Amino acid sequence: MSSSHEAPRSSPEPENGSAVPDPSASPMRDTAADPSGAPVRDSAADPSGAPARTAGASGGGSSGWGWRRPELVLALTVLGLGVFVIVGTADVTAAGSALGLGPRFFPVLVGSAMSLIGVFYVLDVLRGGHGDPEEAEDVDASAPADWKAVALVSVIFLAFAGLVDLLGWIIAGALLFFGLSVTLGAAHRLRAGAVAIILSTASYLAFVKGLGVTLPAGLLSGVI
Amino acid sequence: MESLQLLLDGFATALTPVNLLYALAGVTLGTIVGVLPGIGPAMTVALLLPVTFSVPPASAFIMFAGIYYGGMYGGSTTSILLNTPGESSSMITALEGNKMARRGRAAQALATAAIGSFVAGTIATALLVVAAPLVVDFAISFGPEDYFALAVLAFTAVSSVLSRSVVRGLASLGFGLVIGLIGIDEQTGQARLTLGVPQLLGGIEVVVVAVGLFAMGEALYVASRLRHGEPEVIPVGRAFLGRSDWSRSWRPWLRGTALGFPFGALPGGGAEIPTFLSYSVEKRLARGVAREEYGTGAIEGVAGPEAANNASAAGTLVPLLTLGLPTSATAAILLAAFQQYGLQPGPQLFDHNPALVWGMIASLFLGNAMLLVLNLPLAPLWAKVLHVPRPYLYAGIVLFAALGVYALNASWIDLVVLYVLGLLGFAMRRFGLPIAPAVIGMILGPMAEIQLRRALAIGAGDATVLVRSPIAAAILAVAFLVLFIPFARKALAGRTRNE
Repeated sequence: MSSSHEAPRSSPEPENGSAVPDPSASPMRDTAADPSGAPVRDSAADPSGAPARTAGASGGGSSGWGWRRPELVLALTVLGLGVFVIVGTADVTAAGSALGLGPRFFPVLVGSAMSLIGVFYVLDVLRGGHGDPEEAEDVDASAPADWKAVALVSVIFLAFAGLVDLLGWIIAGALLFFGLSVTLGAAHRLRAGAVAIILSTASYLAFVKGLGVTLPAGLLSGVI
Repeated sequence: MESLQLLLDGFATALTPVNLLYALAGVTLGTIVGVLPGIGPAMTVALLLPVTFSVPPASAFIMFAGIYYGGMYGGSTTSILLNTPGESSSMITALEGNKMARRGRAAQALATAAIGSFVAGTIATALLVVAAPLVVDFAISFGPEDYFALAVLAFTAVSSVLSRSVVRGLASLGFGLVIGLIGIDEQTGQARLTLGVPQLLGGIEVVVVAVGLFAMGEALYVASRLRHGEPEVIPVGRAFLGRSDWSRSWRPWLRGTALGFPFGALPGGGAEIPTFLSYSVEKRLARGVAREEYGTGAIEGVAGPEAANNASAAGTLVPLLTLGLPTSATAAILLAAFQQYGLQPGPQLFDHNPALVWGMIASLFLGNAMLLVLNLPLAPLWAKVLHVPRPYLYAGIVLFAALGVYALNASWIDLVVLYVLGLLGFAMRRFGLPIAPAVIGMILGPMAEIQLRRALAIGAGDATVLVRSPIAAAILAVAFLVLFIPFARKALAGRTRNE
């Protein structure tokens, strides 16, 4: 159950057929076959950061030596995060106990591992490897990405985060629900508005009065 | 037998009217949320965590047990009645189940899933009762190096087993480990990776991470490529089984249970592998009518995997309760729920809080029975839930995700963190990184660090202390080997294809 998101992949890989012989030929495979040589050779080709801008362009091919593939951004994030963990904990200096290890030991371990994984990941992306985009009931994996909807959802949610204390849960929550449902294609705005008000009010009452959870009353304090 | 007495005490706890109500509320909520498309068991548990904030621990865990099992039942209804590919743990059920439903046998598919889940859940929970005390007796002598090795095994297993690409599984794990580092180091009081934001000193709460990666990430992903048009839901009446269906179902139920329980208990096992194995075993064993029907809706292909699915849910509770070791994302969230109450699962939990542990286990039996009653006659009602218009569904998911996260500290910063994690979850979905390793890494990382530092302190800085215990050495060796599973699987698949 749980992980709820991965399956034993037994089906052949989607898309990306002929251009790349083995789409999942991750560099880790090289380590499996030849623990000594591969990483050294690979790190020589390490593209460290430079292609991040070009890769940011949406669309992006999914085959060949993909310098423009969007996944490269994620792979470089992994690498960058690994380096950041090592550098970012440089100011953590307290000595542990005389025998034990200080607070920086584990971060450096994690950061080094993460950097190493990042290098392999970047190389894998450059070689055309890819995972399977996740399948879900309501996702059309073959549809082109609708970036406008993603941006709108982001703006609405961040506005909600900024305004929830001021407006209170009921108003901000209703606006959040209304905005998101309209963005995602709710046909009847009036109905969406009604559902929004009912849901945010009901959740407020249920959690604040029923379960004793604290939610802001905001503009409606005193009224409710 | 001692554990039998403890279990009876557990039933005494679980059978009080208040706790029965909590169990009923748990299974009902779990089923409703679990039925909703796009929401798997892990997200169900994460989203419903806030409901238990003000409930006393024993009742909260009884409710949780209900939510956990309810979410599993709900998921199978979705995959049988909804004609779209779903989450992987119930994807196998959908293979035959959806085809059965489209041939007009939806009632039988739902019935064999529900009864099979009940049978498997009951047997597997009984196995849990037997196995847990044995593991506790064994684990009581574990030292920090053994716990560290177990954590490493959980890390590598979940990263490599769940993903076709090891590097992506490990990248996901890395995200989780880094998130787990944020905050004050408990042993020295030093702030790590907080970027000067005081709200981050306490670290990022597991609920925020789980809800962010699962719920917020899912909402953003759906926004980017929403399937338009009315979802096609297959109509269904009251779920029931005919005589021939019974005789075709009971063996797959038992085989599914036998596969599901041990795999659930193994790190990285989860529900995916046993459901898949059960499906292929039933396919291989199919004779006569079953053989003809396989591929067009054979009841064996629903009965076996569903039983395996539920048995593995009970299986994951063995390492979770006895060792504090989560083997799946759902288990990791349950572990977070324990920690929220200041409880640390492990051998000591059985000593210190027997009422709580055994009450929870007893309520698993009760919840299972309740779910059977809820699911057979009410199938048409659950089918209605599937008609929820998708814009409302995902707007609602985000609203409740925000509620759960805001309710933790009443801080808008948490909401921003939630959004950032949602973006990460979105990217991970889009590029096929498994989510479970991140959740497990985040919750198990800090525990691994504590055990590692403790072990090295005992060894006075000598790193060989980590492999001095034969148990730890063996576990670490397995942890290393597990990383090569995907390659072995690929090689095997390549060979069968060439034949």
